[in-house]
Amino acid sequence: MTQHLTLRTRTAPAGAVIELAGELDHHSAPEVRAALPGLDLRPGQQLVLDLGGVTFCDSSGLTVLIAARNHALAAGGGIALAAVPDPVSRIFRIVGLDQVFPVHPTVRAAEAAWRPTAS
Amino acid sequence: MRGCGDEEDAEAETDGAAAVGDSGGRDSSGDEAQLSALLEDSAEDLYEHAPCGYLSTLLDGRILKVNTTLLDWLGYERDDLLGRRYFSDLLTVGGRLYHETHFAPLLRMQGEVSGIALELKAADGSRLPVLVTSTVRTGEDGQPLLIRTTLFDARDRRAYETELLRARKEAERERERLQRLAATLQKTLLPPILADVPGLNVSAYYHIASADEVGGDFYDLFPLAEGTWGLFLGDVCGKGAAAAAVTSLARYTLRAAAVYNPDPVAVLGNLNTVLNHEYNGADPRFCTVIFGLLTPDPDPDRGGFHITLAGGGHPPALLMRADGTTDYLPTPGGQLIGVLPDAHIATTAVRLSPGDTLLLHTDGLTEAHVSAGLDSEDRYGEDRYGDDALLDFARTLAPTTASDTVDAIRDLLDTFGSGVDDDTAVLAIHVPRPPSEEQQ
Repeated sequence: MTQHLTLRTRTAPAGAVIELAGELDHHSAPEVRAALPGLDLRPGQQLVLDLGGVTFCDSSGLTVLIAARNHALAAGGGIALAAVPDPVSRIFRIVGLDQVFPVHPTVRAAEAAWRPTAS
Repeated sequence: MRGCGDEEDAEAETDGAAAVGDSGGRDSSGDEAQLSALLEDSAEDLYEHAPCGYLSTLLDGRILKVNTTLLDWLGYERDDLLGRRYFSDLLTVGGRLYHETHFAPLLRMQGEVSGIALELKAADGSRLPVLVTSTVRTGEDGQPLLIRTTLFDARDRRAYETELLRARKEAERERERLQRLAATLQKTLLPPILADVPGLNVSAYYHIASADEVGGDFYDLFPLAEGTWGLFLGDVCGKGAAAAAVTSLARYTLRAAAVYNPDPVAVLGNLNTVLNHEYNGADPRFCTVIFGLLTPDPDPDRGGFHITLAGGGHPPALLMRADGTTDYLPTPGGQLIGVLPDAHIATTAVRLSPGDTLLLHTDGLTEAHVSAGLDSEDRYGEDRYGDDALLDFARTLAPTTASDTVDAIRDLLDTFGSGVDDDTAVLAIHVPRPPSEEQQ
């Protein structure tokens, strides 16, 4: 019943990318949170969260996405979401996070939309 | 590590055993001699003083031979036992019963039984836990002749088991204590009774998903100035003590803020400010909440209430009309409370006429697993109950009352069983029809 979360991070020219697949919930959210401090994210870059493989997201999942946003902002960077599944979009609309996170159809689109902000 | 004393003792014995080995050589060869003397000790001595008890009996259990070790353990003389007593005589009553019903039949069937825990009764009445292994010895014609039994002292093992048992009981007691604590804490986060609003039927239910962890759902309904009432229902992200602290803060802040300024947008705005100051950074805490301000319709002939709902990122309320029409009351654009410095609060206002019922819920209900056994690979949340199913369910209830709605939700949660993995709170309010209409 419980599906595992898989997490992969990589570094792209625009900044770090985290790919998530599986259930983002009470059990798996700490894993994502733990990955944040190790990210290679410089001022002006953007952190992209690829949610294409996410099959469930509860309030703990939302918390860790917000923590990722706080982390990126504190590092002087930005944040964007890519490939958000429809049901996650629905939750985002209910909690009003659709107004907070820039959303792109793909990681590539998110990177194409990125403009360096640091001098 | 060997002790010096042992060596000296061994040397003292060497004189007598010198003939056995290469005597008179260097010290080292003297040691070897002693060693081999001990190793080649008589089989008799090995039997008598083995580090375990030996017992030979007839097939009926009558004792034929017993070693010194076992006699010492039990405090018997050899003559007390040989030919007079049976193996089962050496056991406690419980042990005898077990021997009779399990041990002996197994031994007859299999020819050997090993590692059975039994208790011996010593001459002085004290008990000695042992591990017993028996084999049946047959004659040349294959007929069983006697039973050989080895008994190992299991006192250490028993002490270990007792300690394990004690530790387990202790852990169980601790767990019960924790559950009582969690239940008590949970109670403090919920109102003991909801305010009695004249002309309104109110019902609420809190479903606890885990007895070990405090959940983060909360609700309340309370009087405000001039015949108005405030109500709220919300859900703090996460579980456990940390979430409970936020729940407590949210609940008291909401009540205080509503007294200060009952405008629903202001109430949630104040809560947002408080939570946002308290929690941000790597461990953000937020809640989603609906706050409602209830005012009776000024025209007593019409009856009913006006309610203004403010949504802070919470699943929308469900309105079940007197004519059966049922739908969500969304507050689009409302944002979760506590993580954004200027969270947007959205409102909606509705008139509750006689016969109407309004239901607030937390997402523990809609996120419950409903098809645990089915293949649910990779399809988003398809084994979850969901908003649409809840809407359909509400449509089958309408028109209804607050208590009937809450009872139905409670039954629904029961059918999900362990599929409900998050706490769930529901609060329903209903405007009863005038008695004259109900009789029609």
